[in-house]
Amino acid sequence: MLLDYDRLGGWRWGLVAIGSAVMLFLLLPIVFIAALSFGDSQWLVFPPPGWTTQWYQQLLTDPVWVNALLTSAKVAVMVTLLSVVLGLLAALGLARSRFFGKSALQAFFLTPMVLPVVVLAVALYAFFLKLGLTGTLTGFVIGHLIIALPFSIITIGNSLQSFDSALEDAAMICGAGPLEVKWRVTLPAIRLGLFAAAIFSFLISWDEVVLSIFMASPTLQTLPVLIWSTLRQDLTPVIASASTLLVAFTVLLMLLASFLKKGSRQ
Amino acid sequence: MTTPFLQIRGLRKTYDQVVAIDQVSLDIKQGEFMTFLGPSGSGKSTTLYIVAGFQEPTEGQVLLNGKSLLDVAPNKRNIGMVFQRYTLFPHLTVGENVAFPLRVRRRPESEVKAKVAKMLELVHLAEYRDRLPGQLSGGQQQRVAIARALAYDPPLLLMDEPLSALDKKLREEIQFELRRIHQETGVTILYVTHDQEEALRLSDRIAVFSQGRIEQVGTGEELYEHPSSRFVAGFIGNSNFLPVKVEQMGGGRARAIFPNGQAVEGDARAFAAGSEGTLMVRPEKMRIRPHAASARGLAVTVRDMTYLGDSMHFAVQTPWEQELAVRMAVGDGQGLCIGSSAVLEWDAQHGHVFA
Ligand SMILES: Nc1ncnc2c1ncn2[C@@H]1O[C@H](COP(=O)(O)OP(=O)(O)OP(=O)(O)O)[C@@H](O)[C@H]1O
Ligand SMILES: [Mg+2]
Repeated sequence: MLLDYDRLGGWRWGLVAIGSAVMLFLLLPIVFIAALSFGDSQWLVFPPPGWTTQWYQQLLTDPVWVNALLTSAKVAVMVTLLSVVLGLLAALGLARSRFFGKSALQAFFLTPMVLPVVVLAVALYAFFLKLGLTGTLTGFVIGHLIIALPFSIITIGNSLQSFDSALEDAAMICGAGPLEVKWRVTLPAIRLGLFAAAIFSFLISWDEVVLSIFMASPTLQTLPVLIWSTLRQDLTPVIASASTLLVAFTVLLMLLASFLKKGSRQ
Repeated sequence: MTTPFLQIRGLRKTYDQVVAIDQVSLDIKQGEFMTFLGPSGSGKSTTLYIVAGFQEPTEGQVLLNGKSLLDVAPNKRNIGMVFQRYTLFPHLTVGENVAFPLRVRRRPESEVKAKVAKMLELVHLAEYRDRLPGQLSGGQQQRVAIARALAYDPPLLLMDEPLSALDKKLREEIQFELRRIHQETGVTILYVTHDQEEALRLSDRIAVFSQGRIEQVGTGEELYEHPSSRFVAGFIGNSNFLPVKVEQMGGGRARAIFPNGQAVEGDARAFAAGSEGTLMVRPEKMRIRPHAASARGLAVTVRDMTYLGDSMHFAVQTPWEQELAVRMAVGDGQGLCIGSSAVLEWDAQHGHVFA
């Protein structure tokens, strides 16, 4: 390569400096929030004069925060399940059959990815208002599912593409019926794709805020919505601790995802 | 008469405008090793896949023991199959791969265990039971695939170029194993290949495919000694094709003349007198003599001689400047050298006249 890092000589330190600066700029806010969540200053003074876990205690004992956390978890789990199951069915249908309008359908499935979320949110809000679905768990789940599904379809579709369908023929001639073939051969072969789809779907739902703001009611809201609405009223370190929890869980799942990716390459 | 074990009756398969196979009919005896031999795209796989059930014929019928196979779903046909590509299930061990068809059939655990052990014994891979397919060589994978395909004692085993991805040495090794397995199990085998040597080595009978049709069915010897068409003659073994004009037909023999006016005789099917044809003679059925003394035979010029250890290879030129290949035992070429004129002879029964 023309620009080989090893041959840059003295320049490489400049490069390292720029890279570090960018990384710090991106990561510092998160470090900052995490530090504040453990600081004992009510007014979010930085650097914190002392350390405490009281904000976490407050967070985990306040029924409003706990409910939001539970709602987030419930919605995310349901979205994950539905997204993987529906994504699998759609990906199978798209991968294994040829029919009129297939590419149109494929494009249609992916539109939520390119559509601005706020547009989707407004449209869904108006629609769900009619159906009485706003402020319900179902509303959240459907909304998040619409955003998560394209990622599932793509991820599972990719792993189906690298899966040799001759394996299905082999299983069939061995005596396995169509469902048994899928269950015993296809699913195990694409399991990493299914895991990846699950993790992505969970994260999408877990971090989603725009759609959720529209879906939320005073009694039913997810963690990101509660952080956002609390932030507008007053600034308390509880927000910092809630945010830190949110980030920590996200990082955990990202690590799991990259771990799976590594596993699949071996 | 008893009904044949497997009957393939007038199969035809078309894809839109493309005719993949047409009028494919064949009877296969129980325990027979039948090979489909033919060039790429000649319809071998299509025929096999129709028997397997992956494809439906446009026309025709397939009967096993007199009962239609086409009405049976592929997973209920109880047929074994080995594919060209490696199709072991990557997430299952070798043992579990072989057990797969038995588990699907809900056989008791004790039977599964015993059968897996027996099948792995059959393909000499007993000590590989707990490995994953990814940890096996291509040849080992195909042997496991054979074990898996035979685990449920299918009456019929289909193989679609199972050895084409392997190198020559490994291929010969597994061909040898296949013969042994065929003898030990007595399973009827339908085998697809485009390698004539492989076909001759393995098969009881060979069906030669060309452009979606069966050109000829017979033992290797029949196909080699009595090819029914120029295509079969050219596809199996080496051959010389000489242009002739047929003069007279009678009793399965034709009298014909070469471009230089010399007369010749050969085996022939029905022929219209006066039509153009081709006389085929195998290189090793021809003899060259040094002198033009003998009246019989074709006057030729030796163009090239090659010593091949067990035989001598000659290139000779006919009066009409066609180059022919001749193969003789090393001692028989005495007194010949490049450029010398000679006489080319063969026994009349080794000449075959084709359209
Ligand atoms: N799905 C398909 N659509 C259109 N044409 C097809 C299809 N499958 C096969 N064919 C055609 O049918 C003919 C026979 O194909 P087939 O696969 O049976 O050949 P083959 O003898 O097995 O060749 P090979 O040695 O290359 O495997 C070929 O001309 C092929 O192009
Ligand atoms: Mg083929």
